[in-house]
Amino acid sequence: MWPESAEVVVFTAFALAFALTFAPAPTQRRSLMFRGGVGLAGTIAIATVPTFELSLLALLVLGVLHAAVNGKQSFATRLRAPVLAVALLALALVLARAQGSDVLGRFAAVGLVAGLAAGIGLLPYLHPFDPEDPVSASPIAWFAFIGPVLAVVVVAGTHGVLGPDAGGAFGATLVGVGLVNVAWGGVAAWSTENTIAAWRYSFIADWGLALCGFGLTVADGRRAALLVIFSIVLCRLPLYVASRQALREKALTERPVNLVVAAALAGSAPFAGFAARVLLLRGATQMFWPLGLVLAIAMLLWLPGSLRLGRSLGLPRGRRALGVALVLALNVAVGLYPLPLLQAAGQ
Amino acid sequence: MPSAAVLGPVVIPLLAAAVIAAVGLARFDLGRTAGAGGAWGCVAALLALWLPVRSSVELILGQLGYGSALDLRIDGVTFAFGLMIAVPIAVLLTLQPRAWPQTALSLLALAAAMAAVEAGGVVLTAIAGGTVATLAVVMLETEDPRAPRPSWALLLAGWLGVAWVGVILQVVGGTAVYTAVPVAAITGPVFAVLAASAVIASCLFPWRTWLAVLWRRPSLRAAAVTIATVYPLGFYLLIRAYELGDGRYPHPLFNVGLAVLGIAAAFAAAARAQAAATRREFFGEVIPGFGGFALTAIAIGTPLGLVAGLILLATASALVACLALLPDRAGIASVVAVAAAVGLPPGLAFGARVVGVEATFEAGDFLGLIGVASAAAWATWMVAGARAIGLPGGRGRPASETFAGVAMLIATLTLVAGPALAVIQFGMANPVAAEVMQATAGTLTGGRVAVVTVSSVLPVVTLFVPLLLIGVVIYALTDISAIRTQARPAIFRIPAAASLERFRAAVRAASVPDQYRTILNLKQLEAAAAGGSPVFWLAALVALGFAVTR
Amino acid sequence: MLEAGAAFVAWLGMSVVVLADGRRGLALGIVLVTAGLAVIVFQGAGPIAAGALGVGGAAAALRRLTHGPSGWRVMPPGSTPRVVLCVAAGILVLWISFSATTAGDGALRFVILTVLGLSVARVLSSDEPSTLLTAIALLALGIAATVGIGSVAHGLGAVTQSEWPYIAAALVAALAGWLPVRTANVA
Repeated sequence: MWPESAEVVVFTAFALAFALTFAPAPTQRRSLMFRGGVGLAGTIAIATVPTFELSLLALLVLGVLHAAVNGKQSFATRLRAPVLAVALLALALVLARAQGSDVLGRFAAVGLVAGLAAGIGLLPYLHPFDPEDPVSASPIAWFAFIGPVLAVVVVAGTHGVLGPDAGGAFGATLVGVGLVNVAWGGVAAWSTENTIAAWRYSFIADWGLALCGFGLTVADGRRAALLVIFSIVLCRLPLYVASRQALREKALTERPVNLVVAAALAGSAPFAGFAARVLLLRGATQMFWPLGLVLAIAMLLWLPGSLRLGRSLGLPRGRRALGVALVLALNVAVGLYPLPLLQAAGQ
Repeated sequence: MPSAAVLGPVVIPLLAAAVIAAVGLARFDLGRTAGAGGAWGCVAALLALWLPVRSSVELILGQLGYGSALDLRIDGVTFAFGLMIAVPIAVLLTLQPRAWPQTALSLLALAAAMAAVEAGGVVLTAIAGGTVATLAVVMLETEDPRAPRPSWALLLAGWLGVAWVGVILQVVGGTAVYTAVPVAAITGPVFAVLAASAVIASCLFPWRTWLAVLWRRPSLRAAAVTIATVYPLGFYLLIRAYELGDGRYPHPLFNVGLAVLGIAAAFAAAARAQAAATRREFFGEVIPGFGGFALTAIAIGTPLGLVAGLILLATASALVACLALLPDRAGIASVVAVAAAVGLPPGLAFGARVVGVEATFEAGDFLGLIGVASAAAWATWMVAGARAIGLPGGRGRPASETFAGVAMLIATLTLVAGPALAVIQFGMANPVAAEVMQATAGTLTGGRVAVVTVSSVLPVVTLFVPLLLIGVVIYALTDISAIRTQARPAIFRIPAAASLERFRAAVRAASVPDQYRTILNLKQLEAAAAGGSPVFWLAALVALGFAVTR
Repeated sequence: MLEAGAAFVAWLGMSVVVLADGRRGLALGIVLVTAGLAVIVFQGAGPIAAGALGVGGAAAALRRLTHGPSGWRVMPPGSTPRVVLCVAAGILVLWISFSATTAGDGALRFVILTVLGLSVARVLSSDEPSTLLTAIALLALGIAATVGIGSVAHGLGAVTQSEWPYIAAALVAALAGWLPVRTANVA
């Protein structure tokens, strides 16, 4: 088990604990405890099993179970992307292990990236989404609960498997798919009419940054990706969970807390997102400086969407307010001093 | 002085904000006392740290995780900018009543701005500067969501640019610490990004920017704190850039380019000011105008220009507090404020502009022409000021946030402080020049009574004191009650202004033509991506495979 | 020769799964694929691995035989695209396994690629839970069989001699059919 995957599992456990502690209704809490517990067990399995085949089997089981829980979409529709992810990753595994020309390695790289995108639910393999779905039955579970561990396991596992040529293709494909997701997620979070859909696009945009970080193949890139994942799991997900009630009531408020939340979601200083962006720019500058320019421009896409997401939180009160404050404080702490987090992940 | 004391100017307002917030959450408002205490505590800490030793104090703690150590430093530059930021905020927090969240946000913004100027490296400055920008937007939006505010994206763009420069320096030069960056790392492209970011961070443009637009808000409490914290930071970066480049910019063209931008901004502000419909609108152009002159002076690249620029910035900082406290009505306070704003002799602005223009002539070549342009812009400001005295006041502001007496006192102080120009240069500006232009800063002499330059001597005390007395006599003989406030036509119109406005409106209204909308139908593309269509997914896979085998 | 025959049987089984909609047809497909896979895996990974796959596949087939749409329903009207898919996939996988790649375990590669590719195709093209769960069971068996390919020592491509992946896959295949699934819940 890689240290960074252990750390990401801890993130998801914290996120689940947050959701359980600050979930508004006891009935939701029971359901969340069961589904979240199964999901957490699955992510632990993905991260801890000794072989990649077992990780894929765990992923397959999670995909089937998730597709089977109550939701607005049919079992068949929800099953497609996870099964495609598992199959693509397995095919990539076969190609990576097989002996042959360099092209096989490149196809393996494509399979890994495509499988990862399908597993998380990123473009071009978006999971079906219905705003009325509960969080645990929606693609958000893949974005913020299963996806982070899967990404870390796949990316960490590719080292030493793909040759230099295929490794380069793997990185370039990750960056390319990442940029597409950044642009799509950023613009769509801004322009879509449905606020819950805007939340979903904001996850996609964040994942785009994480893929870019993983694709940079330098230490700073992976550090940036880890911080982006942190902000997905322990900033965006808890704030999304906290906003569900206000989203249902369609309550939009414009208090200081809404703007501070917007800043946190936008990756503004001093939150963890800004530190991630600094590291990403650092990694991009080391690899290919024009990429830094593209990323810097793309990073501005977060702001308009984040403002509306921040307003959609409503005015948190009581336990929910405490939860939001904790999330913000944690993100400020990590934004200003991310070193312990990075060291714990072996970065 | 223990090095940990450098935390004082940052931690004191931070603690004050925490206390105010904690007590506020318990439904008790501490009022102005706590806010004022935090801000004045910051000023006091800065003075206590710098004045006794007048040399750098540095605190270096461990690595933070993005290639930078927690490196805080108080030197001449920090001291000067720290005062420019903290003093107006302290004055405003002392006088203007605010709800506790606004006070806490103001103090947080102050703490972040202090961290930006105390930061030992570019990356830390970027993080702190980005925090200032975020807090400014939060503060303005929560005070009045319908009132104009700067674009968050624009502010963040500047600080992202600075962060990028920081990481480039870390990658290329091994460090982004101001005092340690190798000169070779400050290449033309890197400096171009830094300069562009600084210009964006402070919005130093020839067109009307948020700096002027903020003055249209119904209340100026948050606006003034925003300007006091955000505006100086771009200049701070341009001054630190001299330190990074061992006293100069990588190419003289950068000096010329920035100086031209500065004078364009100053002249454009003057042109808008002379066409203002109200006195409030005129005052809205004062800070951009000062910024333009300051940018020109700083960009000249000589210690004299730097000193002039700093004194202009300090004056602008005082005027931020003054204008935020000034009521929208005619009277002696408005007249004095206008006089201070346009640089009437023998005020500080007057002296600094004289020194600035002189610095352009001493720099020679093309910069001399910029000096001539500066003089022309200044003359325009004088005319605009004379006109503004008779303009209607403006929309009116809550009486609780205006203090005509204090505003007049601040304006008067900037006017009567003209003879003290040499003292200010000696005490505040020269240490900055010595810090960032070590090779040439020794050319600044003159002590506390005169500003001595390469080619001349400006005996400020002997020249400005009589001027001051003459001014007092003229004022005593003038009956200002005869001034009639009324709408007045603009003295001249900028020829291209209407065309430019039409062009901007056309750009804002631009949209995809109808016949192309089906091609760019993102909803259909998304439906295909999310619908689990095997054909689409296979096509995506083939496209990726094709891309990696090219 | 045995490996070639087993590979053909596995392809045939996958084709039956793709072409059939009834529970008997699906169960037959599972049996054929499991048999082909088990024979090939037995050559490389030994009896425990092959036995695990066999048991898992047999359990899946038994469950399928008792649940799902009744009858065989092999090649219902409109099955031409499925037939083309089975043939084309077979040819493509044959080329990849024996021509584009050079190591000696071509039959195993052929079976794995066939199972993975056609299982996904079945999942993407069907809405019937029994068919979907059948494809998932076979996908799990196919994933376990990838353990036998190559000789990479570390990373995600690392090859282990452990039987656990086979046992886990057998469990997944055996239990997949028991999953309670809503037939349709489209709002």
